[in-house]
Amino acid sequence: MSSPFTSIKGRSKGFRILTAILIGLTLAGFVSFIVSYTWGHYVFGTSNSVPWGMPIVITIYLIGLSAGSLILSSLTYVFKREEYRPISRVALFLAIVLIFGAMVGIALDLGRPEKSWRLFMFFVLNNMRSMFAINGILYGGYFLIGIVYFGAILAEKYKFIKRMGIVAVLWAALVHMGTGAIFGFIDARPIYFSPIKPFEFLAAAMVSGLALLIIVVVALFKFTKIELNKSLIFPLSRLLLVLVMILSMIVLIDKLTHLYSLDRASLLWLLTGHYAWVFWGLQVGLAYFLPILLLSHPRSKNTLRGVVIASFSVGIGIFGERFGLVIPGVAYPMPFYPGKIEGIWGAEASFPLTPIETLLSLGIFSLMGLFFLLGLKYLELIPIENQEGQRTESG
Amino acid sequence: MPRWGMVIDLDKCTGCQSCTIACKVENNIPHGSPQEQRLRREIYWNKVIAVTSGRFPSVKTELIPMPCMHCEEAPCVTVCPAKATYRREDGIIMQDFRRCIGCKYCMVACPYGARSFNYREQEAKEYHRPDPPPERRVWGPWPFPTRTHGVVEKCTFCFHRIDQGLKEGKRIGQEVVPACVEECPSRARIFGDLDDPHSEISRLLSSRGWFRLREEMNTKCKVYYLHR
Repeated sequence: MSSPFTSIKGRSKGFRILTAILIGLTLAGFVSFIVSYTWGHYVFGTSNSVPWGMPIVITIYLIGLSAGSLILSSLTYVFKREEYRPISRVALFLAIVLIFGAMVGIALDLGRPEKSWRLFMFFVLNNMRSMFAINGILYGGYFLIGIVYFGAILAEKYKFIKRMGIVAVLWAALVHMGTGAIFGFIDARPIYFSPIKPFEFLAAAMVSGLALLIIVVVALFKFTKIELNKSLIFPLSRLLLVLVMILSMIVLIDKLTHLYSLDRASLLWLLTGHYAWVFWGLQVGLAYFLPILLLSHPRSKNTLRGVVIASFSVGIGIFGERFGLVIPGVAYPMPFYPGKIEGIWGAEASFPLTPIETLLSLGIFSLMGLFFLLGLKYLELIPIENQEGQRTESG
Repeated sequence: MPRWGMVIDLDKCTGCQSCTIACKVENNIPHGSPQEQRLRREIYWNKVIAVTSGRFPSVKTELIPMPCMHCEEAPCVTVCPAKATYRREDGIIMQDFRRCIGCKYCMVACPYGARSFNYREQEAKEYHRPDPPPERRVWGPWPFPTRTHGVVEKCTFCFHRIDQGLKEGKRIGQEVVPACVEECPSRARIFGDLDDPHSEISRLLSSRGWFRLREEMNTKCKVYYLHR
C-alpha cells in the first residue's frame, strides 16, 4: 500500500502508470472470474477434499486487516490520542476498502455468485443457525457502519463521531470473532475446531491491522515529506510486540490443547507434513519469531527500519497463518473407519496454485488498490500540511 | 411418518462398486476423467472405501460402502446459510440446487465426506431417464438434475423413487428401494423404515451386531453397518 503515495506526491506519470497497472490487473482478475464462472471451478486448485481456496484465505486475511485498521483508527476519535490524527482517516478509509475487498472475495469464491443475494435475506431465506448467515449480518453491518462513521468524520460532526466510533470498534471486534467462529465451530475438522479460534482471529486481526497501519504511516510520512515524529511510531511498535506475543500465546495454547488430546493426527500432520513450511516458516517464523526478535532486540527496536521490517514480516506471516488454517485444516483425510484408508479417500489432499486463481487473487488486491488510489485522489485523507501540493501534482 | 434408513451388511458386501455405478446411472451423475478422479473432483454420491489394518501376512481389508448417512443431527443442515440443505419430515437430507449458492461450507462440515462440488459444466449425454426439469414456478428439488456447475451435490436416498412409490401405494423397502439397494448383487443393502418394528431393517438391527460410522461426532446417522 506504500506505492500510491509515491505517484501522488511525486510525478503524476508514476501515478498514471500505477493506476494503469492496477486497472490492467483488475481486468485480468475480472476475466479470470468470468472464466471460472462460465467454465466452472475446476480452473481453481480446489477439489472435493480442499473445498476452500485462495479467495477464502484472502477474504479472512482482508477482514482481519480491516478490523484491525478500524480499531486503530479509533485511537484518535474514541481514545483521544491526538497524535494519531494524521493517520486516522487513512486507516478508516483503508478499513472500508479492505472489507469491500473481502466481500468481493467471498462472492467470487461462491459457486453461484449470482445467488449471493441469498446470503443477505436474513431470517427470510437464511438459516440463521449457520455461522455464515450470522456473519452476513456482521459484514454487512460493518460495511454500513464504516461508511457512516467515515462520512461523519469527513463532515466533522465530532459528537456523533465518538459514539459511532465506539459502535464501530465493538462491531469490528465482533466481525472478526464471528469469522473465527466460522472455522472454530466446525467439529468435523480437528484443526479448525477450537473455542479459542474467535479470540485467535481477533488477535491476528489486531496484529495484522497494526502492522499494515505502521507500514502505511511510514510510507505516508515518507512520501508527503512531512517529518515523521518518531514518538508516533514507537508506541505503535511496542503495542505490536505485545499483540504478537498475545497472539503467539493463544496459538500455542490452541496447538498444545490439540496435541494433548488423543485426536492429534491431523495436527501432527500440520506440524510435520507437507504444509509444515507454512506453519513453521510463515506463521511461526515470520509472524511471531522474527517480529518478536526485531521489536525486542535493543539494536533494532528503536530504529525505523527494524520496525518496518517487523511489520512487513507480520503482514506476510499472518497471510501464512490464514493459509495454514484454511488449506491444511481440510486437507488431512477424515478417519471414516479405523485403519488405513486406501486410495484417494485416505490420501492427504494437495492444493495446487493455478494461474486463474492467482490472477483472481491479484485482481482482488488490485481492485482494492484502485479504490484506495481513487480515495487518495478524491477524498481528503492525507495530512493537511501537504494536501494542496498533492492534489495539484497528482492532477 | 416413516423414518427411512439403510443397513449395509459388510459380511455380504464384496466391494464390487455396483452401488456406485447404479447411483451414477440413476441420478445422472457424470463420470469423471481419471485426472478428475485423481484430483478428487469427480462427483460421487456413493463411494466404497477400502480400509486395511494389520501387517503382512496378517492383513485385513474392510470394504465400506458410504452413501450419505442422512444424519438425524446433520452438521450440513446446521451450517448451510441458504437453506439449500434441509431435512425432510421423513428424515432424508435434501439438497436443493436452486437454492445452493456454492459456498461449500457443508463440505467442510460433513464428517463423512459425502458431498461433492460440481466443478464443471457437464456435457449433455444420453440418459435413460431424460426427465426435464420442472417449470420455474414449481418449487423444490427435482430428481434428475440438468446440471449446472457451482453447486454442491449429494445422495438423496433416491427420494424420487420413494415419493413415486408412496403415491402408487407400493411397499417401500420391498417393492421400491433406492437404486444402490436394487442393484447390489449380493443383497448387502437393505432399505426400510426404522420406526416400523416389522420392517426387515428393524429385524436385522435387533438380531445382529451393528455399528455406525464416526459415532464420536454424535450425528445419529441412519446408515447402519452389520459386522463382518
